[in-house]
Amino acid sequence: MNSRLILFAASLPLWAQWARPVASYDIRASLDAKAHVISGEQTLTWVNDSPDTVPTLQFHLYMNAFRNTRSTFFRESGGQLRGDRASEDGWGWIRVDSLRLEDGADLTSHLKCISPDDGNPDDCTVAEVPLPSPVRPGEAVRLRMRFTTQLPKVFARTGYRGDFHLAGQWFPKIGVWETRGFRYAEKSGWNCHQFHANSEFYANFGDYRLELTVPSHFIVGATGELVRRTDDARRGVSTYLFVQPSVTDFAWTAQPGFLRLERDFEARKETTPQEVAAIARLHGIPFPEAELSDVRMIALLQPEHAEQAERHFRALAAAIKHFGLWYGRYPYKTITVVDPPYGAGGAGGMEYPTFITAGTSYRLPEDVLTLEMVTVHEFGHQFWMQLVASNEFEESWLDEGFNTYSTGKILDMVFGGTALPVQVLGWNAAAWLGLPKLTQASVDRIAHLSYPVRDPLVRRAWEYYDGASYSVSSYSRTGVALRTLERLLGEETMARVMRTYHQRWRFRHPHSRDFLQVVNEVSGRNLDWFFEQFVFGSRKLDYAVSEIGNRRLGTPAGLFEREGHKDLISAKEARQRDREREKKGEKPLYESWVKVERLEDGVAPQELVIRFRDGHVERRVWDGAGRWAKFTFTRPAEIEWAEIDPQRKYLLDLSFANNSRKADSNAGLSAQWTLRLLFWAQNALLWLSALA
Amino acid sequence: MLPLIAFWSGLERAWGRKRMLVLYWFFHTLCAALAALPWMGIAVPALSRSRLGDELMKEFDLGWLAEIAAQAGTGAPAAAIVASGAAALILGLVAVCLSAGAVPLLALPESPYSPESFWRHAGRNFWPFLRLSLYSVVPYSAALALAGMLRSGAHALWGDGLEAAPLVWANHVRLVFLIVTAGLVSTAMDFAKVRLALSGSRQSLRACLGSLRLVWRHPGVMFWLWACFAIAQGLAAGLYVELAKRLEGGGVAAFVVLVILQQCYVMCRAGLRFAAWGAAAELDPILRPMPGADLIAPPPDQEPAPDYQI
Repeated sequence: MNSRLILFAASLPLWAQWARPVASYDIRASLDAKAHVISGEQTLTWVNDSPDTVPTLQFHLYMNAFRNTRSTFFRESGGQLRGDRASEDGWGWIRVDSLRLEDGADLTSHLKCISPDDGNPDDCTVAEVPLPSPVRPGEAVRLRMRFTTQLPKVFARTGYRGDFHLAGQWFPKIGVWETRGFRYAEKSGWNCHQFHANSEFYANFGDYRLELTVPSHFIVGATGELVRRTDDARRGVSTYLFVQPSVTDFAWTAQPGFLRLERDFEARKETTPQEVAAIARLHGIPFPEAELSDVRMIALLQPEHAEQAERHFRALAAAIKHFGLWYGRYPYKTITVVDPPYGAGGAGGMEYPTFITAGTSYRLPEDVLTLEMVTVHEFGHQFWMQLVASNEFEESWLDEGFNTYSTGKILDMVFGGTALPVQVLGWNAAAWLGLPKLTQASVDRIAHLSYPVRDPLVRRAWEYYDGASYSVSSYSRTGVALRTLERLLGEETMARVMRTYHQRWRFRHPHSRDFLQVVNEVSGRNLDWFFEQFVFGSRKLDYAVSEIGNRRLGTPAGLFEREGHKDLISAKEARQRDREREKKGEKPLYESWVKVERLEDGVAPQELVIRFRDGHVERRVWDGAGRWAKFTFTRPAEIEWAEIDPQRKYLLDLSFANNSRKADSNAGLSAQWTLRLLFWAQNALLWLSALA
Repeated sequence: MLPLIAFWSGLERAWGRKRMLVLYWFFHTLCAALAALPWMGIAVPALSRSRLGDELMKEFDLGWLAEIAAQAGTGAPAAAIVASGAAALILGLVAVCLSAGAVPLLALPESPYSPESFWRHAGRNFWPFLRLSLYSVVPYSAALALAGMLRSGAHALWGDGLEAAPLVWANHVRLVFLIVTAGLVSTAMDFAKVRLALSGSRQSLRACLGSLRLVWRHPGVMFWLWACFAIAQGLAAGLYVELAKRLEGGGVAAFVVLVILQQCYVMCRAGLRFAAWGAAAELDPILRPMPGADLIAPPPDQEPAPDYQI
């Protein structure tokens, strides 16, 4: 301690490409596959890159979330998460056996559990240790730690099932020191949240090195590149060395039954020069900067899913290509996708740096794209969470939502929509029944419509109304909000916004206002109104055409004064004049009006299109601020229909059905509907006749 | 051969009751419309003046339902549940009533048909048939329970493993078991209805148990009889879906043809139902010795005596 350490000197020249390492780990671990226990030793080097003097260190001990039912995680989740239930006897925990400074000072007894978020005395997912002498700005501290981790039965992203092991959040991990003014910090301190039900992670970049010892018959995969494997035939174990610079976490998996397959993503084969040139042109960057690099794709699959191997690689390749072209090349050399076995679904659908877990099922039909959806989404987190390392605890929309938006675009573009799984004895009948496929865009909108707006998009993960609100807000509603933004700005501008934001904050820790700043800067517009209402606020958007009216303007009847003369026109006379005009072929005039309403508290400028029966179209713009507005027209034809937001830019609108209104009721539609419902009812009745 | 003969004979009996089929279809459709009405009340007003209506009609999917629900407001789910409950109740009672009218006339093909005779039988047999349908819940529940036990057994054997394949296959077996068992119970209930209709008895429980015993004693005949109807039903459904797919999304003419096709399909299904009851009536005296005169059919020109004369 107190000595200026130059870390990983060999990697210094790479700092231009990689992040400056703040928290680096050198770990030696061994797995007791029978007891599912990991014994580890790690050297943690933490650099104080702030202007503050830091008196304590705080660590995440995530695995203690699974220690008992009193942990904050259990209290919040009730032992259920993402459709998975915690095992009644598969507890997990982590114990720091020793904690010493480089000079040998033993700090083990000073390590105390703290609960900075909720004060829960039974939670021990964060621990703090005071330092004998504080770490001054620019200094590094090196700690040697021994720890024991009991993996839980698979639940909430980690654990074991049978001989399958997924080690995520498995080692003591230091928090992030945030100096005053960094992100939202009002005063300098540790940003080290407890493990909550609805939150993921936040960490500094660092260089990782793991020596992992497991029984020799296990097949292993991990974050980073495999440098070597050493076999110890006498003990029947093998030691794997993995290294990876510039990442925020490190996870691994081991199972004897894995089917290990590899493919190369060859950038020059997967992309055409035209595609790269188009990207370079759009962003005004040199051609080489838009080019992608080669990546080794590794799949660890369950043997019963062997026939789906190429689907995994196709999904990975599509993701590497499009994320790379849109936001900047994937900088790492490998990506490993893990397919958890049956019953270990809780470990699926999770992202770690260069290492993701997907999820599929036995004989998944080709047109049901859950495999592709999960694989592309988890790979996407390499960009939104890993490379742009936002705080998932506090602003989950910045990773899950951005990723939902990006993933949806790729899936809809490359794979089309997914068929609904209407499986009968293993055969998917959806296509035969003619059921339409669902695009990701529609999936997100369905979620947006199905769950009421209760929270803003930006909120600490554990402060949402409930788990569903967290999920819909962080994923689908953000996807819908970003698509709305894309339609407001135009696709090209949005593409420039996203790439600029990504490149500016790559290997850094942005917050939501940083994104807003990029949006305004790149688009040259002020979008504060959009963000304040629908991102930082929880306003709802719903505009409607509430009324259409047409009134024929005939000859007026009554007493009129014209040039000093009183003129009395009787109603009969007025009608007579009208008939004479009609005989002459003159078209009658109509006074027509459209009333539009703002039904919710969200305000957005609106465009209104009005079509008349003679084919004439009028357009109006409304600032949308009032509760309602009336537009009046005098023309020789009635209004046929009117529609607000005709291009459906505002995907956040809670109902498109009320955006338009016809003067005439759609009798054909009613008839179609009625007959369709009737047919269903007839069939239901026939089934009852057969059964009862 | 016996099941095939019965199947064919059932079709003949159904064909012989074409006028009754039209009557059955008419009231069946009327009641189905009644059941569909509450749903129409939710869906149609929401979209009848919207330009989105036509668009959604072409893309019937979950997105469509979400738009409807969002437009119909927060009360829509509760209204939909009430509408479903009301529809199920209406349809259930109507199903019993119509079968009570049709079965006796199919069981006794010689007796003359008239709408009056149909409704007389419907009135006379409604309560025994309703009781029978309530009793039938027990064997259906037993079939479900057995299928559940199969599932539990499969999970006990393979649930802790790392492979889904054995469980998936076990689930296929369970589904086939459930379909076949439910089919056999359904066939037994057809026999029970015929037994009630022929005997003029009101002992629904006895008819139910007796028919289940009949299925137990002649499982092969019953299975193949059910299979004949299941295959016929499957072929009709397959033909309908293939043709309907070609017509969906077409113009007005295509829509009119689709509606006609739908009603032909409904007629076909109703006809097969008639045939199933007819086949049961054909087989019942063969599989079950006639114990007494009360089971002998009355002469063709003589109507069964109405209740109030007994």
